[in-house]
Amino acid sequence: MTPERLARGQELIARYPQPQSALIPFLQYCQEQDGYVTLQAMKDAGELVGVTPGEVESIASFYTLLFKERVGKHIIQVCRTLSCSLRGADELQSYIKRKLGIGHLETSADGRFYYEEVECLAACDRAPCLQHNLEFHYDVTPAAFDQLLEAWQTQPPQPAMPAE
Amino acid sequence: MVKLLIDGQEVTVPDGTLVVEAAKELGTQIPVYCYHPKMDPAGLCRICLVEIEKIPKLQIACATRVTEGMVVHTMSPKVAEARRGVLEFLLLNHPLDCPICDKGGECDLQDFTMEYGPGASRLTEPKLHKPKRVDLGPTIVLDEERCILCRRCTRFDDEIAQERNLVVVERGHSSLIGTVDGGDYESYFSGNTTEICPVGALTSKAYRFRARPWDLGHADSVCTQCSVGCNYRVDTRFGKIMRTFTRENPAVDGGWICDRGRYTFNYLYESARVRQPLIRRDRELERATLSEALAVTAEKLGAAAAAGRVGVIGGGRLSDEEAFALQRFAREVLRTNNIDHRARLQKYASPARFGARLTDIDDADLILVFGAVTPEQAPILDLRIRRAVARHGARLVFVGPFKPELAVPFDYVEYTTGAIGDLMEALASGVARGVPDGAPFVAELSKALSDAGKIVAVHNGRNVVAATALERLVETLRGNDKSAGILVVGSQGNARGAEAAGCVPNLGPGYAPVSNPGLTTTEMLQAAAAGKLDALFIVGANPALTFPDGGLARKALETVPFLAVSDQLLTETASFADVVFAAASQFEKRGHVTNLEGRRQAFAQAIEAPVHVAADAAILAGLANAMGRIDVLFDDPDWLFSRLEMAEQAAGTKEPLPRPKLDSAAAPQAEALDAQRKTFAVIPVPKLYAGGGAAAHDPGLEPMRPQPRAIFSEDDALLLGIADGRIVTLAGRNGSITVPARIDARTPAGSVLVTADMPDAPVNRLLDASGTGRVTVTPAEARREVTA
Amino acid sequence: MALFEPVIMKGIGEIDLTDIDVYERNGGFAGLRKALREMTPDSVTAEVTNSNLRGRGGAGFPTGRKWGFLPKDGRQRYLVVNCDEAEPGTFKDRMLLEYTPLQIIEGIVISAYAIGAKQAYIYIRGEFLNGSRIFRNALAAASSRHYLGERILDTDFSLDLVVHRGAGAYICGEETAQLESIEGKRGEPRLKPPFPAIAGLYGLPTVVNNVETLCYVKHIIERGAQWFAKIGPEKSPGPKIMSVSGHVKKPGNYEIPLGIPARELIEEYAGGLLPGRTLKAFQPGGASSAALFVEDLDVAIDFDSLGAKRTMLGSGGFVVMDDTACMVNCARTLTRFFEHESCGQCTPCREGGQWVARMVARLEAGEGSEEDLRVLDTINSTITGTNLCPLGDSIMPFLASVLKRFPEEFAAHIAHGGCPLKQTPVGAA
Repeated sequence: MTPERLARGQELIARYPQPQSALIPFLQYCQEQDGYVTLQAMKDAGELVGVTPGEVESIASFYTLLFKERVGKHIIQVCRTLSCSLRGADELQSYIKRKLGIGHLETSADGRFYYEEVECLAACDRAPCLQHNLEFHYDVTPAAFDQLLEAWQTQPPQPAMPAE
Repeated sequence: MVKLLIDGQEVTVPDGTLVVEAAKELGTQIPVYCYHPKMDPAGLCRICLVEIEKIPKLQIACATRVTEGMVVHTMSPKVAEARRGVLEFLLLNHPLDCPICDKGGECDLQDFTMEYGPGASRLTEPKLHKPKRVDLGPTIVLDEERCILCRRCTRFDDEIAQERNLVVVERGHSSLIGTVDGGDYESYFSGNTTEICPVGALTSKAYRFRARPWDLGHADSVCTQCSVGCNYRVDTRFGKIMRTFTRENPAVDGGWICDRGRYTFNYLYESARVRQPLIRRDRELERATLSEALAVTAEKLGAAAAAGRVGVIGGGRLSDEEAFALQRFAREVLRTNNIDHRARLQKYASPARFGARLTDIDDADLILVFGAVTPEQAPILDLRIRRAVARHGARLVFVGPFKPELAVPFDYVEYTTGAIGDLMEALASGVARGVPDGAPFVAELSKALSDAGKIVAVHNGRNVVAATALERLVETLRGNDKSAGILVVGSQGNARGAEAAGCVPNLGPGYAPVSNPGLTTTEMLQAAAAGKLDALFIVGANPALTFPDGGLARKALETVPFLAVSDQLLTETASFADVVFAAASQFEKRGHVTNLEGRRQAFAQAIEAPVHVAADAAILAGLANAMGRIDVLFDDPDWLFSRLEMAEQAAGTKEPLPRPKLDSAAAPQAEALDAQRKTFAVIPVPKLYAGGGAAAHDPGLEPMRPQPRAIFSEDDALLLGIADGRIVTLAGRNGSITVPARIDARTPAGSVLVTADMPDAPVNRLLDASGTGRVTVTPAEARREVTA
Repeated sequence: MALFEPVIMKGIGEIDLTDIDVYERNGGFAGLRKALREMTPDSVTAEVTNSNLRGRGGAGFPTGRKWGFLPKDGRQRYLVVNCDEAEPGTFKDRMLLEYTPLQIIEGIVISAYAIGAKQAYIYIRGEFLNGSRIFRNALAAASSRHYLGERILDTDFSLDLVVHRGAGAYICGEETAQLESIEGKRGEPRLKPPFPAIAGLYGLPTVVNNVETLCYVKHIIERGAQWFAKIGPEKSPGPKIMSVSGHVKKPGNYEIPLGIPARELIEEYAGGLLPGRTLKAFQPGGASSAALFVEDLDVAIDFDSLGAKRTMLGSGGFVVMDDTACMVNCARTLTRFFEHESCGQCTPCREGGQWVARMVARLEAGEGSEEDLRVLDTINSTITGTNLCPLGDSIMPFLASVLKRFPEEFAAHIAHGGCPLKQTPVGAA
């Protein structure tokens, strides 16, 4: 484990009465740096909080915002639940998939974009909505998506899954 | 007590009883999958839903506790509908491959579907598929499609084994049973998961496609792979062993067995099995008849006995009856007290007084272990320790020359084998005086011992000073109204039975002192090596590999003019013999064995021995007959057992038990550190699957067999200029071994940890009779290096 | 008709309540001051109990009674604040988090004071990254002015508040799953009993309250229990935020007095339906609630009136579906949701939920059969009421209600081999 990770891990552990509470925050921190939850991160996390690597895998695989495989640098998550579906999410999804040339849960060949249809994001009044690297975008029409895409491609690199 | 009604029948059960258990009292079966009486209720599968009056929703019988006046219906229409629903859901994507499933015939999914389930599936779309034939490691194959996600296996690995390597991954209906990154599920207890799996998801590699449960014959047996004495059932078909199965004895095994016990039986069918007596002719061991072997041996032993130059080693791998027969043969027929079962480091197989029960571990506050490495040498005892620590908050203190890997948190106190006696002395006097002093941890430990309400100490009976000091310590604690007791882990499965039956030079059956004590194993080997013995008879022991001073053992076996060995396998010792008797295994005879706590347990015969193979009782009776003593021994376990009991009654020995005779090699000396690192102190490390007998020859254990290793501390490795994986030669007093080096920070400075009992790299080439030794270390030339 | 004067939404969209100066100037921390300086913990609890405040997270359990379950045995206890809003159609907690985090903090401090908790955790849904950042800033600001931390406002009361972010799991909104998640485990609901009040977080007595609930606590303390109790029906009183979405002119969060008719919420608050459309169905309390229909428009929006209609107020996620909405499509969306979010512990939820979702998807695609409809009809009783937590009970209500009300729509999908409505959604050209 790198000294930075160890220090961060200890800082997280100090927030809680039991070290295991720091497990998920620590994995989020590692994912922010690595782009996904690496095997090494799971081993480090287990060692840090005192659980087996198997337990870490069991826990990590429960949560959809922890990725166990490398995904794109731009994580695009489009809501697919009722309120967005009533207001055009299906069309938006088809449009984005065509545009990016990838399907649900896929990463583009160049490793830039990851696309996922997710459950309700709690922005139903501004449907359809999506998150890009956990940032909300509302009332997204296909045309609005094109503008967003352009902006993302020119913005400086940022973590796809920020930890805090 | 609480009174309630279940299906109109009244039942009274203790407070806190689960409804499912209360129903059992009435003989009412409520179906369960996730529930297992040994584990915490999980409430997952929902098959056990029952109707309880005054509660609107159905309740799970596996987690609902009884209350006074509760009225339960387990067969109402609502319950039947819920059960049918759960079974319909479980079977939706189930492959229905019962005809090729090992579990067929003993599958709860099959059985409950017949009894409560829907007749047909209403699923119209294709079944969802999941991984099949998943190789979970050395012992188990997993079929995720058959899995009903009851989690008994993962909960076992968590709650019982405390290992937490087998887990649930993913979630929802994508959930799978798995390990980290698809690695092996390695556990000394893995086989238990195949038994508690209620369906055919986890199947044992050893049993896959071999038999149907209704074709199996059963024999109630007792495992003798270590001294815990777990009860198990041996399942046979066409006279062959197909598998072993737990046979719960709550006082001994708690319903679990370890993989070493479970899977050690296929060696019987291997080529190393001695299937016919062998006699050495023109330097080669050649097949002979039993009468030939008996005749030759009777003549040679008789002559040696007449000259008073004979010795007998063994007993710890025999039944109680046969151990009795062996010492009787030595004493009555050979007229010698040169009989000793101790072919390893162990000196005592029982505490002289204050023996504990295995169940005492369960509610102990403090468990003190020294000498023994419990997970390797007494796995099911270790399982009890794990539970006591994890679930009851017991403190575990491990004292020894190296820090072992244990499944639960523990306090480690580093002490060389020779110095443990000093520590125990200090603790005993500290507690006795009531003023703990000495080194801080000695003072702390004395105080902890004084404060604990219940203490169990576990050791290996090797260090006489420590064992004696411990008994004094326990005496003081008991005097202070504390509960305290001692367990000694036997060096062989029936070491305690052999000791009690009189297989020691100074004590007869029932610990009755004999007037003219004979030679100990060490003394017999020394005498043989010096040409002072004419014959040695070794029964079920392998001193060439296991006697600490391997040089002495081998010299003795080479030098003695006549060596007879009785064994199941052509061991390292048997290969020196002039006559080898083909001995029956535990499975091929019946009798009793005594476990480490002194519990005598009967075992039944499971299979017939091969034609030319005979039980040791028969061999001994045959020898006595051939030597003209037709009334001393009979090949009849019942007769032998009654004589043993009579002898024990006659002895009437009370605690403290007299101690087996010690010899000059008894006490290991405190090892001094070689500051120059010209030599390293050897610390033998026991491993569950090591050994030269069944462990070395059983194909079922092959994937688990350890590789011999020499483990150094980081600093010492640096000093020696060796990297992890480098082949090194360790040279000691009786030769050398060449093994890969490992680096482990837990290794004490100036020491090297060496895997014990490995036939290809015997650590006893490096040790003296007290079990200590020093070696020089030479890295092999670079071309012989292997990478880790 | 005059709309209700907002209480906890007051100022949102008008002033920047995340600025602690603005918040203070607009009545911020008055409740906290009053509670800590003028009231005992028991009198705070009594006030909340007397107000008849029922939890705003979904279950509607009386808050004061929940607090009262804590054993008085001297053990440490925890307050866990549930901001894991993920019930489809509900977006009020995220708004409170992003726009009025200091009000949440004020509610937390008062409630922790009442129950004697020195440690609180707020569990913020993992997707709410921006909200959690805003909240952390608010927390820092509140701490710097001694509204949090050691000896708050120089009283003897101290409270530490830790922000814990989720990582993507709807089920963590269930209180025991949330506790597991904070402990760093899989977010799987626990077997009950024991209930969290007896053995909750780290095995210690714990109260889990929703953020909206805690915001109301502040105002109950400020204005008194009677003020709150007099709004709306006696047994289900007070204001509540309704998140209105779907086919209305003005989707959004509206704070209403409980007890107003559904019609008023749709027409007066949310601006009515889109031009030329007619109402087909509405879901009053999130994805877990059964649908109501045009004939139910006069139902009062409160816990008991909706319960009497065999649906629920739930979290207040109010989704409106007009005549362009395909009920089979809506049912598919929601059954897929529960399939995706089942933790997988219980057989009926895990296997049944998956089966139902597949069947409904097949029906929507026009590949279903009459047999599917018969199965869906009978499966309700074996999925509902047979699981460890309420998620399994949420799978069927919407589906069953629309199946019963619009059987012809399902039959038409079978007959036409697809959707006969050729749904034209809003926003599509």
